Amino acid sequence: MCIAILGVSSFLRAQNDAEKIYKTNCVLCHAADGSGNSPSGKALGAEDLRSEVVQKKTDAELAEAIAQGKGKMPAFGKKLKPEDITKLVAYIRALPKGK
Amino acid sequence: MRNSRGHGTLSATTNWAFRTFAPILLIVFLLIIFKPDASAVPSYSRQTGLPCASCHFAPPELNAFGRKFKLDGYVFTTKPEVTDEKKGHNAALQLLEAFPLSVLFDTSFTSTKAPQPGTQNGNFLFPQDAALFLAGAWSSHVGSFVQVTYDSQADHFSWDNTDIRYANNHELFGKALSYGITLNNNPTVEDLWNSTPAWGFPFTSSNVAPTPSAAALINGVLALDVAGVGGYAMWNEHLYIAGALYRSEHIGAAQPFDGVGFPINIRGVAPYWRVAWQTVSKNNSLEVGTYGIHVKSTPNAVVGLEDSYTDWAADFQYDRIIPQWKNDVLSFRGTYIRENSSLAATFAAGGAAFPRHHLNTVQGNAEYHFGTRLSGTVGLFHTDGTPDPLLFPQAAITGSANGDPRSSGYILNLSWWPVQNIDLAAQYTGYERFNGLQTNYDGAGRNASGNNSIYLLARFIF
Repeated sequence: MCIAILGVSSFLRAQNDAEKIYKTNCVLCHAADGSGNSPSGKALGAEDLRSEVVQKKTDAELAEAIAQGKGKMPAFGKKLKPEDITKLVAYIRALPKGK
Repeated sequence: MRNSRGHGTLSATTNWAFRTFAPILLIVFLLIIFKPDASAVPSYSRQTGLPCASCHFAPPELNAFGRKFKLDGYVFTTKPEVTDEKKGHNAALQLLEAFPLSVLFDTSFTSTKAPQPGTQNGNFLFPQDAALFLAGAWSSHVGSFVQVTYDSQADHFSWDNTDIRYANNHELFGKALSYGITLNNNPTVEDLWNSTPAWGFPFTSSNVAPTPSAAALINGVLALDVAGVGGYAMWNEHLYIAGALYRSEHIGAAQPFDGVGFPINIRGVAPYWRVAWQTVSKNNSLEVGTYGIHVKSTPNAVVGLEDSYTDWAADFQYDRIIPQWKNDVLSFRGTYIRENSSLAATFAAGGAAFPRHHLNTVQGNAEYHFGTRLSGTVGLFHTDGTPDPLLFPQAAITGSANGDPRSSGYILNLSWWPVQNIDLAAQYTGYERFNGLQTNYDGAGRNASGNNSIYLLARFIF
């Protein structure tokens, strides 16, 4: 029982962390729902993170795009730690569920 | 005699050509010598890892991303930070590793159609201005645009446009809400668009050529002479509301000041308001809004009779991105300002023939951006209001022979950005009417067209 509670708690904390990382770094262009349908996202042509094109990419490809940047998107590799990027990839994977 | 005159004409032409083109050649020479490294970009760019063109159609014109960056308090970064690791993402400390400092250097040349009597025409300012910016994130939710500028005519550094803000994001009625608090020294400097005075066209201008004497308070008269605190909010990415309260601060005056020598000394506080609605799609951005300020002032004193001013203004901005033409951008901007004033104090002191006045200001411009490197702008301006020979007295160059504040004209501007942090601009300002008249407007024989000016600017910012 205790292990189950700790496990759920740990999962929720990780989810919470990922959401904060996403809100701090990604919402500006990709919008809260990942659609990129914000004025600033439209200005820079931000991709819809829920789209098949994005979701088809492997975790490694998504992590590389976040760390190295892609197109107009700047590189976050100097700011975010590898474990934060991993959490972010998982968060992006979960975005289509809220579509 | 004819030969002599002919020689004189040739000599004058040669002289004019030299005076006009020598600065251009010098600017090009400087550009070649001092062409910066491509990575030498200002502090916002260094902080975000994004080129200037991500936020600007051409500086200082903000696109939707730039507006959001400002709305969020200038804090977005992709660069390493010094953080308090123990607190994770609610860190008690988040400092940029790189200090957010930028430098601006402006050098310019101005020539008016008719020289100002007894003075040199064709003036080269080296520099016109040099400025330091503290522009970037101070902490996770606090950032700044702070400018300190050296003015070569005043020969000293002085505090310039400042906007220090706290910003955050939440939801209200299920929609995104970006909100914040701003400390600033110029009504409309907090604004997100280029249709309001602080960031409006012309984005650069000569400080040598004469300018009309009448201007509404919100149209730059209070800039850098007030200090204010305010709040702002953008709801659902459509509705923008801002407000602030200002007091006179008079930088450079001994404190506490007695108001002597200052035409505007705000009594109580001056409320400023701003409401705007925007809609943004992939290739279109439209904003319509209103702004204004109410000021009660005791000229040259801090007690006694008061002058009262109320400025009401409307503005719009439309930006159209044209994908078929390599994402060129066509922009239209305009504003109308109505100032109603009751100058009881000025009237009692003999500075006005009667107390009640009004002033209308209309400004509009259209700009075409050829990519991110070249833009051409045509602007029109018109001011009219209550004639008053005491308020707008006769004086050589700056005065009015008939006491009429009416001025109108146009501005043509061409800006070339060889790289995103260097601006080479050529600007022509033409007057149809200046301080009330077309001819002999100052009563000393000067015509409005005599103030037509050519202005050349080289701006380096890194």
